[in-house]
Amino acid sequence: MKVSDFFQGVKEVQVGGPKIACSFKLFGININITETIIISWGIVIALTLLVLFLTHNMKKKPVKKRQVIAEFLVETVDKLVKDTMGKRYKSFGPYIAALFASSIFGSLVSLIGLRSTTADYSTTLSWALMSFIMIEAAKIKADGVGGYLKSFINPLNIVSEISTPVSMSFRHFGNVAGGMIITTLIYFALTGLSTALYCDIPIFTIGLPAVLSLYFDLFSGFMQAFIFIMLTMIYIASAKTEE
Amino acid sequence: MLEFLSIDIGTIIFTICNLLILVWVFKHFLFGRVYKILDERQNDVSETYAKADEAMEHAKSLESEYTGLMEGAKEESAEMIKAASKKAQQRSDEIISDAKNEASAILAKAGEDVEREKKRAQNELRGEISELAVLVAQQVVEKEITEADHERFINDFIENVGDLK
Repeated sequence: MKVSDFFQGVKEVQVGGPKIACSFKLFGININITETIIISWGIVIALTLLVLFLTHNMKKKPVKKRQVIAEFLVETVDKLVKDTMGKRYKSFGPYIAALFASSIFGSLVSLIGLRSTTADYSTTLSWALMSFIMIEAAKIKADGVGGYLKSFINPLNIVSEISTPVSMSFRHFGNVAGGMIITTLIYFALTGLSTALYCDIPIFTIGLPAVLSLYFDLFSGFMQAFIFIMLTMIYIASAKTEE
Repeated sequence: MLEFLSIDIGTIIFTICNLLILVWVFKHFLFGRVYKILDERQNDVSETYAKADEAMEHAKSLESEYTGLMEGAKEESAEMIKAASKKAQQRSDEIISDAKNEASAILAKAGEDVEREKKRAQNELRGEISELAVLVAQQVVEKEITEADHERFINDFIENVGDLK
């Protein structure tokens, strides 16, 4: 049996970036509407509907379960923000919640067969840039413009500042994208195994991928989202206490 | 299809916009609404507490008021009893002294009566004795004596009898 026979059904496996739905030019910049953008719109719409549903018709005395859930979510985020950043950063609650929700749902859409938005480096990079802007703003607010610029006398500080968003975005992207690649490879291999054993139906793809998906999609997706918001909060909060 | 590891400006712009929209949605429709409800509930709770405190204060003031009233009533009743007993004492004293006075008045009147009776009896006795004496004298002396002599004799006798008495 030759190796080429082993991959009888699927000759080669390819993991690419997000597909482009359409593209247009705006102010000379080529804007692509990619798979990622469409899925993230879907996530935003779904989350908005979910929030509207949860907080619809709230009463002083909670009569509906969904109100209890909404209150629980808000209180959990508030507590997390308060414990990690301190009381004065209470207004960061919505940002942290939105970041966490976007990240975890972006990773979890792979469960329904869509491409994870977080497996696109542009997505994690833009979140990291947002957090980076907030971190730098917090630093400028804490030290003043002069004090902030003074910290760059040591050029290593510039590297350290820039490495923050880069490491944050690559960590998140790498975990999700790596998981996606491994899942694809496993599928490929199992399909190949089924074909090699003269099974037209790839029966080996039942079972093992589900277990792996539990780790790569659920656990990893949750962990990365959590790490991302924790790092954001810690960096913002530490801007003031570093003095 | 884009490269596996690519940076796409369009995606970055849209992702940031999506994130901002989501932040706005969360802020207004999740956190804002929940905070409002929580605030209302907090207000309710503090209102209830304030009401309870107020009721407590009211009850306390009523209690002190009633205690004061009770004490006043006690004092008043004690005073009333004291006054009543004093009045009764006075009344009994009065009655006793009245009775005493009356008794002494009766006694005095009785004494007077006795004296008057005595005097009347004396006068009666005096008349009878004088008649008797005249009779006795007429029989003893058996002689005519003047009216003047009679008179003298009788008076002397009576005076003697009075002295003897």
